[in-house]
Amino acid sequence: MAETMVRMGELAASASSADVLVSLGLGSCIGLALVDRRTGAAGLAHVVLPASDGHSAGQNPMKFADHAVPELINRVVKLGGRKVKLEAVLVGGASMFAVSSGALEVGQRNEAAVREQLKAHRIPVIAHETGGNRGRTIRVFIADMRVTVREAGGKDSDLVKAQRGLVAA
Amino acid sequence: MSAQYSDLQLDALRELANVGSGTASTALSAMLGRSVDITVPNAFVLPMAEAVDSIGNPEDDVTGIVLGVFGDMEATVLLLVNPNHAALLCGMLGVPADSEFGESALMEIGNIVGSSYINALAMMTGMEIEPTPPGLATDMLAAIVESVLAQRATGGDVALLLDSDMVVEGEDCSVSFLLVPDQGGVEQLLARLGL
Repeated sequence: MAETMVRMGELAASASSADVLVSLGLGSCIGLALVDRRTGAAGLAHVVLPASDGHSAGQNPMKFADHAVPELINRVVKLGGRKVKLEAVLVGGASMFAVSSGALEVGQRNEAAVREQLKAHRIPVIAHETGGNRGRTIRVFIADMRVTVREAGGKDSDLVKAQRGLVAA
Repeated sequence: MSAQYSDLQLDALRELANVGSGTASTALSAMLGRSVDITVPNAFVLPMAEAVDSIGNPEDDVTGIVLGVFGDMEATVLLLVNPNHAALLCGMLGVPADSEFGESALMEIGNIVGSSYINALAMMTGMEIEPTPPGLATDMLAAIVESVLAQRATGGDVALLLDSDMVVEGEDCSVSFLLVPDQGGVEQLLARLGL
């Protein structure tokens, strides 16, 4: 199995059963997985900030939720995923440090922004592990559309169970 | 805008980091009652996606102590300590590591070390900057580092990291010290130096 690392502000999609998409140690960032469990196409985005308004010029737009979500949908659809069948899984959005900074925490704002985008595209969230103050790793197994989450010192646990009878690409 | 810095600018930033971490290590030394050495500081300019890997293994457990910096320059100070080394530091201060006292002792180390560094920067540059109270977390390295970077990420795609290690003499114990200014903060810092 080949693990594809999806780092800050990156996204990746695959329909190849040998692939595993991974974001290691998500803190305030959101790992957004989009899966079409029938066709076996999926993608993962590592969203850093909620919105690009006002300060996106010349920057990688994919770190922002408002750009990353539509782009991830496009990538998964290009690989054979059907937009109406896409389902979302959210991991991350934690507040690692208990310091009140006045403004609402980045993690919470990231989650809200991603959910808003998903709602606009009519994509349901079928599982999530978000908020709190722990870092998390997300893995998306293309072979069986399994999505797992792991906290520091813990084991991988299934957020989305393996699908049977998937036609391997 | 993605910022690029000249060698001269990076040298100047490294020199600032050198004086800052020298002052910080003196403060740590006084607190622990031991000699503390510093390594030569690095100044890295990295794409954000690569910054976490440059600091360490993303899933390694690490204790992070953060202080915000506000005023003429916005930045975050991040101290990273391997949990075993954190326990050693607590031992030197005579408090049990796995307790509230351990956590507050580590935060106090962050407070004193971070404030000394910030004060040294302020003295050298004439900037008015102040630290916020510290926060602490023990978790995956990536989760801690990316949360700090995310906070500073609105201005650009590159992270400037000024880093140096403080090593407690005679013990297998070191503290990594990182200053992560936001992009406006770096420009402010360089402008004060006339660069």
